[in-house]
Amino acid sequence: MPHDIPLKSATLTPREVPHTVSPGLWTLAWRRLKTDYVGTVSLAIVAIFVALMILSGFGLIASDWSKETGVNYAPPSFLGADYEGGTPAAPAEPAAAPPTASEYKSQIVDPIGDVIAQLKAGKAPSEVPAAPAEEEKSVDPLADIMAEIRGGKGAKKEATAPIEERKATLPLGGDKWGRDVLKKTIKGSETSIFVGIASAIVATFLGTAFGALAGYYGRWVDDVFNWFYSVFSSIPYLLLVLAVAAVLQQKGILTIILILGLTGWTGTFRLLRAEYLKHKAREYVQAADALGASNVRRMFMHIFPNVSHVVLVQMSILVVAFIKSEVILSFLGFGVPVDVVSWGSMLNEAQNELILGKWWQLAAAGTAMAILVTAFALFTDALRDALDPKLKGRLGS
Amino acid sequence: MEPLVSVRNLHVSFRLDKHTTFEAVKGISFDIPKDSTMALVGESGSGKSVTSLAILGLLPVENSIVDPKSEIIYGGRNLLKLPMRQLRDLRGADISMIFQEPMTSLNPVFTVGYQLEEVLKLHMGMSGRRARERAIALLTEVGIPDPTRRIDAYPSQLSGGQQQRVMIAMAIACEPKLLIADEPTTALDVTIQKQILDLIAELQKKHQMSVLFITHDLAVVGEIADHVVVMRNGEIREQGPAKRVFEAPQDAYTKALLKCRPQLERRPVRLPVIDDFMSGNPRADKDAPERKRGIRPTDPIILEVNQLGKSFYSREGLFGKREFKAVKDVSFRLAKGKTLGLVGESGSGKTTIGLTLMRLHEATTGEALFEGRDLLSMSPKEFMTYKRRIQIIFQNPYASLNPRFTIGQILTEPMEIHGIGANAQERTDLAFELLNKVGLAEVSFYKYPHEFSGGQRQRIAVARCLTMKPDILICDESVSALDVSVQAQVLNLLQDLQDEFGLSYIFISHDLAVVKYISDQVMVMNEGEIIEIANSDEIYKHPKMPYTQRLLAAIPKGWHGEHAARAND
Amino acid sequence: MSAYIIRRVWQMIPTMLGVVLLVFILFNTVGGDPAYVLAGKISSQEQIDNIRRQIGVDQPYYVQLGIFVKQIVTADFGASWSTNERVSNILATRLGPSLTVLVPLLVISTLIAIALALAVAYVRGSLTDRMVMIVCTVGLSISILVYIIVFQYFFAYKLGWFPVQGWGDSVSENLFHYALLPILIALVVSIAPNLRLYRTFVLDEINQDYVRTARAKGVSENRIMWIHVLRNASIPIITHLMSELPGLLLGAFLIERFFSIPGIGREVILAVERSDFPVIKAITVYVAFATIVSNLLADLTYKAVDPRVQLK
Repeated sequence: MPHDIPLKSATLTPREVPHTVSPGLWTLAWRRLKTDYVGTVSLAIVAIFVALMILSGFGLIASDWSKETGVNYAPPSFLGADYEGGTPAAPAEPAAAPPTASEYKSQIVDPIGDVIAQLKAGKAPSEVPAAPAEEEKSVDPLADIMAEIRGGKGAKKEATAPIEERKATLPLGGDKWGRDVLKKTIKGSETSIFVGIASAIVATFLGTAFGALAGYYGRWVDDVFNWFYSVFSSIPYLLLVLAVAAVLQQKGILTIILILGLTGWTGTFRLLRAEYLKHKAREYVQAADALGASNVRRMFMHIFPNVSHVVLVQMSILVVAFIKSEVILSFLGFGVPVDVVSWGSMLNEAQNELILGKWWQLAAAGTAMAILVTAFALFTDALRDALDPKLKGRLGS
Repeated sequence: MEPLVSVRNLHVSFRLDKHTTFEAVKGISFDIPKDSTMALVGESGSGKSVTSLAILGLLPVENSIVDPKSEIIYGGRNLLKLPMRQLRDLRGADISMIFQEPMTSLNPVFTVGYQLEEVLKLHMGMSGRRARERAIALLTEVGIPDPTRRIDAYPSQLSGGQQQRVMIAMAIACEPKLLIADEPTTALDVTIQKQILDLIAELQKKHQMSVLFITHDLAVVGEIADHVVVMRNGEIREQGPAKRVFEAPQDAYTKALLKCRPQLERRPVRLPVIDDFMSGNPRADKDAPERKRGIRPTDPIILEVNQLGKSFYSREGLFGKREFKAVKDVSFRLAKGKTLGLVGESGSGKTTIGLTLMRLHEATTGEALFEGRDLLSMSPKEFMTYKRRIQIIFQNPYASLNPRFTIGQILTEPMEIHGIGANAQERTDLAFELLNKVGLAEVSFYKYPHEFSGGQRQRIAVARCLTMKPDILICDESVSALDVSVQAQVLNLLQDLQDEFGLSYIFISHDLAVVKYISDQVMVMNEGEIIEIANSDEIYKHPKMPYTQRLLAAIPKGWHGEHAARAND
Repeated sequence: MSAYIIRRVWQMIPTMLGVVLLVFILFNTVGGDPAYVLAGKISSQEQIDNIRRQIGVDQPYYVQLGIFVKQIVTADFGASWSTNERVSNILATRLGPSLTVLVPLLVISTLIAIALALAVAYVRGSLTDRMVMIVCTVGLSISILVYIIVFQYFFAYKLGWFPVQGWGDSVSENLFHYALLPILIALVVSIAPNLRLYRTFVLDEINQDYVRTARAKGVSENRIMWIHVLRNASIPIITHLMSELPGLLLGAFLIERFFSIPGIGREVILAVERSDFPVIKAITVYVAFATIVSNLLADLTYKAVDPRVQLK
């Protein structure tokens, strides 16, 4: 009982109380996540992809993806060199000059129609340009930095190296020019994941900052941001992205990251605004107000840690969404520049190859993306459950 | 006489995750007699609600486990083993149930009539026309005004009391043998509670049904029950006729429950707490000496509030604004070292006053003089120096502590902000000291709020206020969410602190017994206005205003022996 | 009620102006001089100056904005930069094909998603529920491009069950011949996300107290799901559908492009490829307006179907 406890005199000697540090909510969430089998496996898969991205970004693997190591349309090794579509369909001539702009466009308009028309006319289909010789001008996200480190040797040297003896099969097959699909897939993952993560960071940051300000301050601040939000959200997301892509004539990784990031913040804004509105009225924030904590302190020290799990989950949702968007944009030719490989540009090439029965590039890019996105989505679900256990096991009484 | 329902050896567990289960009900047995009211009393976690849901088979299927040896016998059949079809035929017809939250318990998108007729069509096979007539008759019976019109209303268009009446109408529609009422009045104001209790008692007599009344409130039990079962932690502590349980309780826990709750007639210096009884402390049974309360005109005044008003605005029409006056011209004075109790029903504006004085809401009119300075009109910067001298403790101990802070951070933060203590070490020492003061171990400093119970958290909230050495403490429903036994501990703590530091309290509560116990002076509010303000003994003995009289008359008085004759036959 | 509607309509105006401003800033300042885009790569300064005068970008910004607003109000965006077709004509003729695909898609996909959502929510937590959810997650993670490429190749090109692409003149021919495979693909792609969303709506309702009351009344589980829960869950579902409508118009753009369906979505892609600014501007502004109006309607429907909301 309180009044029975004598009031200890204040001592100036440092007092040591034996204790074990209690686990905070983050630690507890991490423990819950570790017990979730699906979550752990997903996290491992995501980690592997991110590791590949980093290794590839620093040029440690797949840096020679543009080297034509196999015969044209080399089939995957597990099918053997005699696979029906495996013998070169076209003469073993390295890619012709890039198609002219008009060819390129007409192809975009009617992808399969053109191919069919060409097939009927007995010609090999012309391909989407990916001129290997220009590889060194890569706008590859990390490559620019890497170029300095590598000090001149690298893509250029490889690309211009004399054509060695070409392999009849490649691990996951080869593309039209005989480039290794496995390496292309790794390089493509690097681009797509990097774009997804970077633009998710931009969008989450904007959405969180705007949402926090609007929800916390309310009144005219809220009105202004809400107006901003309703303007952005009334233009359907992909239309906005396409419109921005149309206006920004230069293509590049940075451009896509900006397009996706600057247009994709609305969902995060809406959620975070609602969270700040809710938490602002909570008693712990009112208590902080009552004891004299400033606005900034309440916003960042008190409320933010309590909504940060929403931010985290939102960010991982956005990564998935942006990877998908990047793939579509690059597929349409509005995304990465022609000399950069991404899952989207691979799918673009693959749709024509499929008509010829060369399905491996489609399978490789499609599967890699499906595995990563599935793992990311399942990980996001597990993360949400771990961070907010209330949602999962509601007690009935 | 053969009982209506026999519960035998009921075990219920919940699966918390893959490896852990929690046993909520640990093998209890009791009988519900025919044509009588039986109360199941207990604090939170006692398993009383779980028991009532088990009778109708309403436990959540995903995670509840009922032991296969458990039996609930009704009409010769074990309800726990009954096929779903047969159980459904009993539900709503032979045994029906009403719940704590009438608002959420009614389907919001169907009219009251639709939901009433549904049960009539289902069990009585009535046609649309007859069902509607019967529904109107039922609404009339439970006292809904203008039933022919109200039958087409949606639940949200009715008040809380009316919603609970509709729930009752639905429950008695098929003349059930047993009505299970799970905390049916807990969410309602005291005057509405009184009406609903009267209605249930009246219907019980009229239809000669049995009522199983689940509640945490012994005072309500005393009003309504013939038989009482006291539960704690999934076990039955005591059961018997109400007269015996109230007049000669055998179990220490029952005794504790009866004594811990503040009573209108007595005001002991300290409330007995549950440990006194459970540890067999001999002084527990003895009545402590009475404490004298009240203020004299000569007592020094610490806070003077004049013409305080607070309006909220909502949009109406095209350009219109509708003003809602939550607080209207309220004036009062708080005496130094004394407690001013603020009572009223929901919507009376009592909480708004507290928040406005703290400047958590901006006042519309009026002034609050503290040491001759008006707290409401000074600049925010100036107010900072006064902020720490007037502090507030909120209702919900689970929401008022930041879950991401350790207790240490929670306690040292206000000291940092206000520059109390020369350095981090001094602040830490003071925090340890205050933890001792409020009866918590020093290890708590390193823990997070989620590791503490509701009562402990409220102590932490008190300690947080004490770091700033305030003069005035506003307690906004600070003990309302706590169980009776914990409530007594926190009330004792508040009293001890007032005795030691001479704190002045503004104690806001809807609970008239608690306010009577803790207050020197009581202010009764209704619809934003002060109805009456006087010394607490005076106001409870001789209420002058009709509203105060109504309010006091509605307080459940507990056991007065009037049921004695019935319970014994 | 009417006061509420008037106020909401009034509130739409700043948003519409914002959209106009955003599109204007995007196309007239961010993107650089549109005359260079229009003139192409090889053109003399004289040609460019001529074009600048023609499209009015030599004027001060406020005049240009005025022209833009006038274009929007009169629905006259001039001619397409690449085909010289009237923009208004483009919009009018491209709407029909889009709707031919979208209306049946929307109806079928919504019905299937709702039915499946109720079914899996009913067996929530079971193996079936988890399997369905995992299939949805995996299905969602495969790029829509892969679905289209594979389905078109397999069902149309290889098996010849459907036309590979094309579009006719008669509505029935389009609907029952050309639109079948596109609708099928869109169904496969759209059911998974809708099912996931609707399932959460239904789960939110299943945990409500009124469901317990219905059980306590003896109502059967079927009736609880189809009457009590569905009526409540339909409120967020309807609101969601309404606000998604205009976005759907574009959602199918990949399908329209692959199957050469002359709809709005394909038009957008063509316009972006050709830097055909008038067409993009017109479509962006009008689709945004449609979204704003649709949001208003969603709001009003929400208030109409939910008796808890009182109109003031």
